[in-house]
Amino acid sequence: MRTRYPATALAALLGVLILLGAGCGKSIQANSGSKSYEPGARRDVTTASMRTTSPTGGAMSSGSRQLEAGRQPDMMARSGDTGSEAGIEPLSSSAPMPSLSSIDTAGPGVSGKRSDEQRVPGELLVAKSEPADTSRRRVEEMQREQIATAAAGLEDVFFTFDSWQITNEGKQTLMLDAEWMKANPARAVTIEGHCDERGTLAYNLVLGEKRAKAVQTYLMELGVSTRQVGVVSYGKERPFCKEHDESCYQKNRRGHLVLRGE
Amino acid sequence: MVRVVLLAVYLAVVAGLAGILETGAEDVYMEATRPDFQKIPIGVLGFRDGGEQDPTGERAADVLKADLRRSLVFSVADLLKLGIRLNGKLDGKESVDKKTFQSALEQGISVLVWGKFAAREADLLMDGFVYDGGTGDVVADRRYIGTASVLRQMAHRFADELVFRYTGEQGIARTKIAFVSELNNSREVFIMDYDGYGARQLTADGHLNLMPRWSWDRRYLIFTSYRARTRQFIDMIEVATGKRWTLVSFTGLNITPALSPDGNHLAFATSQDGNSEIYKMDTNTKAFQRLTFHQAGDLSPTWSPTGREIAFTSDRGGGPQIYVMSADGSNIRRLTFEGDYNAAPVWSPRGNWIAYVCRTPEHQFKLCLISPDGQKRVRITSGPGVDDSPSWSPDGRHLVFSSTAEGKSHIYIVNSDGTELERITSGGVAHTSPSWSPI
Repeated sequence: MRTRYPATALAALLGVLILLGAGCGKSIQANSGSKSYEPGARRDVTTASMRTTSPTGGAMSSGSRQLEAGRQPDMMARSGDTGSEAGIEPLSSSAPMPSLSSIDTAGPGVSGKRSDEQRVPGELLVAKSEPADTSRRRVEEMQREQIATAAAGLEDVFFTFDSWQITNEGKQTLMLDAEWMKANPARAVTIEGHCDERGTLAYNLVLGEKRAKAVQTYLMELGVSTRQVGVVSYGKERPFCKEHDESCYQKNRRGHLVLRGE
Repeated sequence: MVRVVLLAVYLAVVAGLAGILETGAEDVYMEATRPDFQKIPIGVLGFRDGGEQDPTGERAADVLKADLRRSLVFSVADLLKLGIRLNGKLDGKESVDKKTFQSALEQGISVLVWGKFAAREADLLMDGFVYDGGTGDVVADRRYIGTASVLRQMAHRFADELVFRYTGEQGIARTKIAFVSELNNSREVFIMDYDGYGARQLTADGHLNLMPRWSWDRRYLIFTSYRARTRQFIDMIEVATGKRWTLVSFTGLNITPALSPDGNHLAFATSQDGNSEIYKMDTNTKAFQRLTFHQAGDLSPTWSPTGREIAFTSDRGGGPQIYVMSADGSNIRRLTFEGDYNAAPVWSPRGNWIAYVCRTPEHQFKLCLISPDGQKRVRITSGPGVDDSPSWSPDGRHLVFSSTAEGKSHIYIVNSDGTELERITSGGVAHTSPSWSPI
């Protein structure tokens, strides 16, 4: 794809050769020889390139904790300061970080006269990556937080379309939430920013974060300690209501307060 | 005489294709609808597999026909309708009689393909033959071997070889599409063939895994992971082994990764500075460089095929709009002015279009294309629902995207001119965030 002119030339050449009829098979084959498209061969090219870049990769990952995701979960320690914040550490597989440079792969084979049988490999190998223990713990933790949140009686705030301004009603709600936070200074909340299903996934993640941060800022203005309020955006990925109408959209545009574990 | 006419047709086709290939960034035609592009009429006679009903052969023929149609290089003739059929045994190169060829030629079909299946030990053998009206001869025969489970892949490979034979371009029949499926409360990354078959699960950690992007060698996927509380990592996973690496771990949201055409930089958006900004990381040295400096949200970078420019979404003008900058962050200019919501840009691999999600006056989120100079703009999808996450096919002739047009979000492919919309996922689970692999 990237080398367009030679491909064009080859196409033109092929067209002419095809038309010239007898004897062209051999010529095409000669051309195709250098462009043989075998996944095996392509893998070799990649491997060769990986090999040459591996010294760099090795140096890059040598300083960090090594984890082969899913296989050596014991090597993944919990993060240092908060015992409940599982899985926060960057993953670094035991294999060196591979190069992502694009490698100019060989073109596909031209089907001239048959030279060899082509083995079509078993499908692209896909490994289902089992979760690390840290991921599992984080999922369980989120379930516990949901229960704790329901018990504490913290109220959520709602937004208008494409907006992250706190409404007057939202301010009333947050005053009550702030009172609770100040009365329970040892407890912390995560504010989840959520959006309705309209708009793009990516932009809604950013919009959800603006909403969460607007709530965070307002709580801090009301005297809640910085340490007590974290944010996360779920965009439109974790809707509370799944119907496709405005009453549902309204419920989904929210700053959702989640009480963290003690 | 027929041969001379065909010669002319061939030269015209080859010249036309050469035109497409060479025009590069100046070309503002939509390839799928180039008025001077003449599709090559092709007939698929069928595949014999030795049995009475030929179920294997029928499946292979169906896959091949669909591939040839989607290639946009061939027009697939309905041979049965034209009364052209296989006579007697079709079990080899010599098995089609001259009358069949002649009859096809007279009806304007210049290429005929057929094949046969046979078993050899645990393997399936597929022979494919190509008759070419230009030479009046069988010009190619191929033999593919594999287990019965790769039947579709054999047909895909045959289709790609035909595309290459007649255009010099690589076909897309063996490309893959990565996407995200909603499983309970989580989002997991899957991979499937470009026609929606053979879906397989890659992540299974119970968190949100969003917006996968392929490495150029198709060995890795890069995506956003929600496995931690205080930040969303950009992780990389090796498809064949499930090994994972973390590429970006700034505090906050780290989203919308995009590899540069040479693979040496990863552009992405991070909110570590308080609001979303675009950075790029040198994938070799892991050095970061901040590209945008604005209190508004900047996200969704996409590289021009030259690697010199980056288009992105920004709401610095109020609502989200598409902007373009140089790859060092300089020369920022706004590209879209029509409508109050334009986002999720993706630059065509041919360079001549940027596809994005545009909100229509009817408040629907649909796909639009705009030329990088802003001079041409066209909407290519319509109807209800939210279209999202467009991604180009590597040949630049198709887009894959998600849409809620039929209720739950599903994955669709469409020609870049909006024709031949095709849903490629099904079932009661929501599928989002498709990403078309390189070739």
